[in-house]
Order: sequence, then structure tokens, then C-alpha cells
Amino acid sequence: MAEEGNLNRKLGFWMFLSSEFLIFAGLIGAFVITRANIFSRSANMAEFHKSWWEPNDLSIALVSINTFILLASSLFVVLGIEAIRRDDHKGLARWLFLTIVMGVLFLGGQAIEYTLLYQEGHRYFANADPFGSAFFTLTGFHGLHVFVGTLICVGVWLRARKNVFWSGNYTTVEIFGLFWHFVDLVWVLIFTIVYLT
Amino acid sequence: MSDVTHSTPAAHTEHKKHTSPVLVFVILTLFTVFEVAVTLIHVPKQVIVPILIAIALVKASLVAMYYMHLRYEKLVYTIIFVTPTLFAALLITVLMIG
Repeated sequence: MAEEGNLNRKLGFWMFLSSEFLIFAGLIGAFVITRANIFSRSANMAEFHKSWWEPNDLSIALVSINTFILLASSLFVVLGIEAIRRDDHKGLARWLFLTIVMGVLFLGGQAIEYTLLYQEGHRYFANADPFGSAFFTLTGFHGLHVFVGTLICVGVWLRARKNVFWSGNYTTVEIFGLFWHFVDLVWVLIFTIVYLT
Repeated sequence: MSDVTHSTPAAHTEHKKHTSPVLVFVILTLFTVFEVAVTLIHVPKQVIVPILIAIALVKASLVAMYYMHLRYEKLVYTIIFVTPTLFAALLITVLMIG
């Protein structure tokens, strides 16, 4: 009965993630359409880059580090789940703590990136800056997920420190892991589509 | 959300050998380094964009299969997640081509 309840929680969470993915698909699609629209209205590349942002080496380097941070954090969550499967409570707490650190570092990197873009004159509102509205909506929505994921991770970590979880009971950790990996998966796509193509 | 339950989340995974998460991480990192490297050497976009999109899809699949454990989980989770994902991938691919 209890196992059925846990399976239902996971099933429900997979459905939630599917709906989340469609929201992100819409935002990525809006970004691609806006970029294509600006490009088609530009006479040449110079005019295009007056209205649209071109990532430079610094921004690619910054966002590559952020990508590495998020990939590493996903690994830490997997290692945490493997630890609790062995009833290694300290291991779970340690990996979750490192995941929190990675989440904070990612958000810090994003804050630096936003500051640099702001200094370059980019703004959120569509009339002033089509790039800004498309970019900040997409990456900001993702950043919000990282922020919420980090807060959830703090909650799971606090419970892990109290030895709430054990090898027969770690569905909550698994569900948090699904959310965190989903955020990582979406970032993999955003990284390529927004920054590299 | 009670945790006072007795679940065996990995009970159905025993028949498949688990791939090392560290190995998956190394592959994901190498793919990322390759993506950034080819961007820096300024290959024509018509050539490089399909390759980069393909690599991103492979990376996303690796995360879903090995980190989210879809490879070891019940098929229904895969169907629930992959069905809308395919439509989303189709939408974004068409938009990118356009």
C-alpha cells in the first residue's frame, strides 16, 4: 500500500515534469522566433547585432562554467541517492550539501551574467529590447527553478541530517533528484540553443 | 508528504546493470567541451548548428536515462515524459530550421 503511494507520487511528479517541459519548450520557441524575426528584418549581420546580442568569449566562458556546475550538481544528487541506498546517512547529507553549494554558485554566475548584460544596456521590456525580453524570460524562468530547487534541497538536506531517510525510504530524495535533473536537462538545451547556435 | 513509508524505489531496477554516474558525468562534460570548442573555431552555422542540436539532444537523453533513471524505471514514466518531449523537440527543430 505504502509502495503504491510512493509510485503514485513519482507518477504524478513525472506528469508535472512533462507539463514543465512544455512550458520551457514554449519559451525556447519564443526565443528562437524572436531571434529569427529580428534577423529577417535586418539588412546585414551588423544591423542584426544592433538589435540582438552576440555572446562573446567572456559570456561563453561564464555560462560554460555554470553548465559544468549544474552537471556536477546532478552527479552529486545521484551519488547522494546511491549513498542512502547503502544507508550511508552522512554521505547523503554531504552530497546534498554540495548540491546546495552548486545551486548557489550557479545563481551567482547567473547574477554576474545579468549584471554584465544590464551594463551593456539590455532590458527586460519587449518594446525597448526584444532580445532582453526573450532572453531574461527564458533564462530567468530557469533560474527560478534552480532557486526553488536549491530551497527544496535545503529542506531535504535538513531532514537527511536528522536521519529521516534510509535505504527503504528515500522517495522524497528521489523526487527532489528528478526535479534537479530536470532543471539540468533543460539547461543543456538552453545552453546550446541560446548561447551556441 | 509523509516519509514514514516503506518503499523500495529501486526494486524494479535490479535486472539492469547500472552505468556509473561518474562515467555519465565525464561524457556530458566532454560533449560540453566539444560544443564550446567548435563554437570558438567559427565553423559555418549551417554546418555546426545541426551537430550542436544533435549533441544537446544526446546530452539531454543521457541525463534522462541515467540520472533520472528512466532506463531502469517503469516504461510508463518514459512514455509520460518522452511523448510531450518529442512534440517539443519537433516544434523547436522546425523553428530552428525556419
